Amino acid sequence: MRIALAHFKTQTLQHLRSPAYLLPTLAMPGLFYFLFEGPDTEVGLVTFLMASYAMWAILGVAFFQFGSGIAEERTTPWERYLRTLPLSAGQRLAGRVLSASLFAAAAAVIVIVEAHLINPVSVAASRWLPWLGALGAGGVMVGLGGIALGYWASPRAATPLATLAWLLLAYLGGLWATPTELPTWAREISPYLPTRVWGEVTWAAIQGQTASLWDWLGLLAYALGFAVLALWGYRRDEGADYR
Amino acid sequence: MKLSNDSVGARAVAELREVHKRYGKVEALRGVDLQVRPGELVALLGPNGAGKTTAVSVLLGQRRPDAGSARLFARAPTGPAARRAVGATPQVAGFPENLTVAEVVDLVRVHYEHPAATPELLERFALSGVAGRRAGGLSGGQQRRLAVALAFAGRPRLVVLDEPTTGFDLQARRELWQIVRAFVADGGAVLLTTHYLEEADALASRVVVLARGRIIAQGSVDDITARAGRSRVHVQAPSLPELPAGTQAESSNGSHILYTADPDGLVRALVRQGVPFTHLQIERASLEEAILSLTGGTS
Repeated sequence: MRIALAHFKTQTLQHLRSPAYLLPTLAMPGLFYFLFEGPDTEVGLVTFLMASYAMWAILGVAFFQFGSGIAEERTTPWERYLRTLPLSAGQRLAGRVLSASLFAAAAAVIVIVEAHLINPVSVAASRWLPWLGALGAGGVMVGLGGIALGYWASPRAATPLATLAWLLLAYLGGLWATPTELPTWAREISPYLPTRVWGEVTWAAIQGQTASLWDWLGLLAYALGFAVLALWGYRRDEGADYR
Repeated sequence: MKLSNDSVGARAVAELREVHKRYGKVEALRGVDLQVRPGELVALLGPNGAGKTTAVSVLLGQRRPDAGSARLFARAPTGPAARRAVGATPQVAGFPENLTVAEVVDLVRVHYEHPAATPELLERFALSGVAGRRAGGLSGGQQRRLAVALAFAGRPRLVVLDEPTTGFDLQARRELWQIVRAFVADGGAVLLTTHYLEEADALASRVVVLARGRIIAQGSVDDITARAGRSRVHVQAPSLPELPAGTQAESSNGSHILYTADPDGLVRALVRQGVPFTHLQIERASLEEAILSLTGGTS
């Protein structure tokens, strides 16, 4: 635990000192919420979009901290050196997950606080736990997706890929606008995307509705799929040729 | 190959047995046996591509061998527990850019039960003045000292030094040698890879020469130096009589290359026996040339 915490601490310090990481993960979701949605009076819409942008913020941390982070680090001499220490892969991953959870929570909190400051958002007291739970469940799912991306993408391709996936999945999943505002072609594929199923369960939770079982199953299926890909990628990487 | 000191009492803290490792079509290791014991410094020498880095990475559990086995403190090195008393040098170019020297040292120390104190460690490696600087922004010499300091940070019983003094000035090299000698005198075990034969000469209790994935020579520094000190006598003659003991001959088409520790005695013997030789040449190999000739001249 001491070792995992030390990795959590150093990784968090490294990210805090890296503007290239902080800008998309912490600043952009809050900024976009302001630029695109701005102050509004429609309570239902601004509340709905607060949930959407909180999801987008977490998606960014998942893809950049896990996706680009793992891909860029896994072939570096420093990472290879860390593998000579009495450090297990689990401890290293635990440090990474703790640090990513911290940043994901911070990114979501920024959006939530901002939404409360500029808009008449309204969430029933009894809905806070369910909607934050849905947010977290999807966070685990996209976190696993980020880890899978990190082990499968080449170090050079990872950041562009993470950026593209972050933007496309947000748009097509209906996180930027509402799903009903998507063009027809996008509306066809949207229901099958991981961000959309996550959106469905989170929006339902914040509005006090019950999400369909299919959306929860979709979320679970994506989580399992990403977990398998992540584990497979990790094993493949472990035996890779770094010479 | 039978190890020359299998009979030595102390148990090996690091061991490779018949290790094979292949990368695609390249056979990086072809049956390597290696042992490092407490109080012993083993220098692993060989040209680039000989397999030194692969041997070290298999020993440290970063690579799994295709065949054969690796052991660290009698455990499989792929498990973290086996590496509890092991310190290694990271490659110099890759320190995290956003962490200070002290933060890097502290991160490494956390992994060990009884690590060295950070201020003492920094003092020992002349890094006290840059403790608060970003590790990625150090000068080349400082980064190299930090790399070696990290190998000693956990008070290990086995230290693996990969080209530790490349780019060191003479004084820094001598200071590191002092630290390494004291560590070995205290019962520490060291596996050293180096390009500097002088370094192997100064530190090693045993030298292992690796070429094209095989160990082609090993022994004490004296053994290797003696081998290195051998001369090559080249003559042309229709045939050769019986030669003095200890002479090795490679003959083809009346051309003979004779390896001997005593070229004068060999030539006297040839003359005494009336061998009608021509084109006599005598060459004395330096240690470096000997290693080169042992490794097939590829460097």
